[in-house]
Amino acid sequence: MEKLPLGLALDLRKVVPYKTGSWRTQMPVHVMQTPPCTFSCPINNDIRGFLRILADKENFVDAWNILTRTNPLPAICGRVCPHPCEEGCNRRDLDYPLAINCAERAVGDYAIDKKLDHRKEHITPRQEKIAIVGSGPAGLSCAFHLAKRGFKVKIFEAEHQPGGMLRWGIPTFRLPREVLDYEINAILKLGIELECNVRVGVNIPMDQLTNEYKAVFLGMGASIGTRIEVPGDDAQGVYSGVEFLKEINSGKQIDLGKDVVIVGGGNTALDCARVAKRLGANTSIVYRRTRVEMPALSEEIDEALEERIMFRYHTNPTQILAEDGKVVGMLCVQMEMKEADASGRARPAAIAGSEKVIPADTIILATGQAVDYEGIELNKRDEKWISTDNYLQTSIPGVFAGGDAVLGLETVSAAIGQGLRAAQNIEDYIAGTLQNTLSRPPVVLSKDLNTIYYETQRRFSKQGLPVHERLKGMKEIYSNFEPEEIVKESDRCLSCGLCFQCNNCLMYCPDNAVNIISGTGKYTFDLDFCKGCGICSKECPCHYIHMTLE
Amino acid sequence: MMKTAVEFDKKNLLASGHRACGGCAQALACRMVLDAAGKNTIACVATGCLEVFSGPYPDPSWRIPFLHSLFENSAAVAAGVEVAYRALKKAPVNVLAMGGDGSTADIGFQCISGMFERGHNVLYVCYDNEAYMNTGVQRSSFTPFGAKTTTTPAGNRFHKKDLPQLAVVHGVPYVATATVDDYHDLQRKVKTALSIHGPKYLHVYAPCPLGWGHAGDMSIAISRLAKETCLFPVYEIKDGKLVSVVKIPVKKPVEEYLKVQGRFRHLFKKGVPTTEVELIQEIANQNIERFNL
Repeated sequence: MEKLPLGLALDLRKVVPYKTGSWRTQMPVHVMQTPPCTFSCPINNDIRGFLRILADKENFVDAWNILTRTNPLPAICGRVCPHPCEEGCNRRDLDYPLAINCAERAVGDYAIDKKLDHRKEHITPRQEKIAIVGSGPAGLSCAFHLAKRGFKVKIFEAEHQPGGMLRWGIPTFRLPREVLDYEINAILKLGIELECNVRVGVNIPMDQLTNEYKAVFLGMGASIGTRIEVPGDDAQGVYSGVEFLKEINSGKQIDLGKDVVIVGGGNTALDCARVAKRLGANTSIVYRRTRVEMPALSEEIDEALEERIMFRYHTNPTQILAEDGKVVGMLCVQMEMKEADASGRARPAAIAGSEKVIPADTIILATGQAVDYEGIELNKRDEKWISTDNYLQTSIPGVFAGGDAVLGLETVSAAIGQGLRAAQNIEDYIAGTLQNTLSRPPVVLSKDLNTIYYETQRRFSKQGLPVHERLKGMKEIYSNFEPEEIVKESDRCLSCGLCFQCNNCLMYCPDNAVNIISGTGKYTFDLDFCKGCGICSKECPCHYIHMTLE
Repeated sequence: MMKTAVEFDKKNLLASGHRACGGCAQALACRMVLDAAGKNTIACVATGCLEVFSGPYPDPSWRIPFLHSLFENSAAVAAGVEVAYRALKKAPVNVLAMGGDGSTADIGFQCISGMFERGHNVLYVCYDNEAYMNTGVQRSSFTPFGAKTTTTPAGNRFHKKDLPQLAVVHGVPYVATATVDDYHDLQRKVKTALSIHGPKYLHVYAPCPLGWGHAGDMSIAISRLAKETCLFPVYEIKDGKLVSVVKIPVKKPVEEYLKVQGRFRHLFKKGVPTTEVELIQEIANQNIERFNL
């Protein structure tokens, strides 16, 4: 036996510490949760993931790779998406939401600048062929995700160029064509075949597609502009919104005259108005409700107001006045708001005797869009949109659908999201295991966060061209952002629901029961000593630590 | 994104396996102080919770030399250790004396006063949990106005003793207060104190879940609330001059601090006049004025 120092009966160096873990009734666990940005994004982009990569490593390439796992069109979404993610951002309760949209655009622009390609190394080719109808955002997204799963994909496009509404519906000052071309080409480089000038149902019968291909995805969008019935709308100088934008975007010159009146309050109406303003016309928008009820994006309404576009609210056209078959004006009536209708918006009613004439050389009726069903027989919802089941499958087995044709009129990101989900469901359909497997971890709300540990910081704000510069041509309003600014903005991310190594749990544990794994920056709990007091969970800023019963 | 958490010391000099209650802020504060002081330290600890939960043979949690003395004389023992080191001409060592609020303000006060007066190179750390928690929550002279203890079941009628000011009038060169929620501040103050020769006094605010009647996970939050309601001003006094104060830009009403603790629950019972809460708010207002928080 070893000789001990005088007075000691026990070698203290061999004593095992008392395991206080046996006192515990609840234990801490790490739970990764869905941040609200990802939850409110129609594509479920890993927003927290790419922002943290930008903030911690300033690595735009990895950020782009993370984003393009779900969204193949980041530079486009960074420009035209109404960013529901920012509405969800938990920072709104602390100071201002993150400028996620700007960060996404910066990442997309970086990829265009450095000519990045989608990675192909993990793709295992498969034999099944799949047809995509339409090369809008839904079709492109579905094609991209199917190609990433190894399928042989072929896109049929009715027009002579791919892009759908991205190309024909969005003016160049909101979405420059080189951005569009780059991102479409990057998708096509995955080995996707594209056949333009083919109208499915007219040039190719639908039966041929369903026989030749394992599955078909319909992403044909809502390409027909529908007009409201106004007497006299057959006069020269009356356009539908979609028609007008398509003419302009395919490079045709239209003589608008001096006064242009646009009817409608959606994004198409605003785009038409802003294009007409840039072509030098006096532009006004006629809408029968008010700004609050306008379906257009609030940001775009603001920009239109900056550009001195006149908004006539509570006004409804009753007749289009023409001389020698050419438009000279529009007879309008004032409206007043009555109780809400089925759509939840206040119902406008005409005030008798309030008619007046608005002078107009061109009238654009941007009052709705519809799907072109020529040669395609499907079950429909509300007589207008394609009806699908939970798996986006239409009434024809093996034919899936998504985008505006299913959703009604929705955003680019909603269409991309449906393309992604359709691709997942098509893979399951071919494997014969079509079932709903979507499950998400719970969402972190701002009440769960310990916001004391975050500092308030200034939000990144994009600086547009001054209005007189904007109106000179179709140039994009916002130039590319400085990468340093974007990295700084990304660092505002609260990292809701995922550890960002703040060391709070390590420092605040009274029992030293939290250990750091050296080199990885990850933490473990030493359950031999953890007494389950819950300080680590309470003081975790991002709600990554939960207390559970044993 | 976050207040930079670059600099911190964690050496676990008060190791796992101690018998403190879950969520004990004193154990936490003691570890933070020891980690900032480093290995070259001797701790002289008075009787109290700290000694009881960390000291029992054969597995003490201390990873540095540790002397347990009586309830009243930890400062005197520390003074003796310091003088012995000087007399034996050994390499300099950090001497810490530690105690709870009872052993500091009531029972051991004469020893501390003597240590300050003789000017020993000792840092005295007081863990303030505002009552005699070890023996079952009896009132001490640090118990705040209105708090319920077993000896003041209707709420304490006396005001808290201002020991940091007593230390200042002893001519102590460095006096500071700190809370457990801001470990950067606490550890910086320990290091600053140890760099100064002479007696030093550090007053650390340490919530006690059992005695104060709150859940264990609230310890840090309550310590932060005490700071934010201005009931516990965090400051630093060097050579009699106030050199730094933790400013509270958004001051919270004291109710937020009082309502989360069981020892103040009687103030919010139905039919109880609000005068006592107003008196406590008055204490906070005086602190704001005095330290310009």
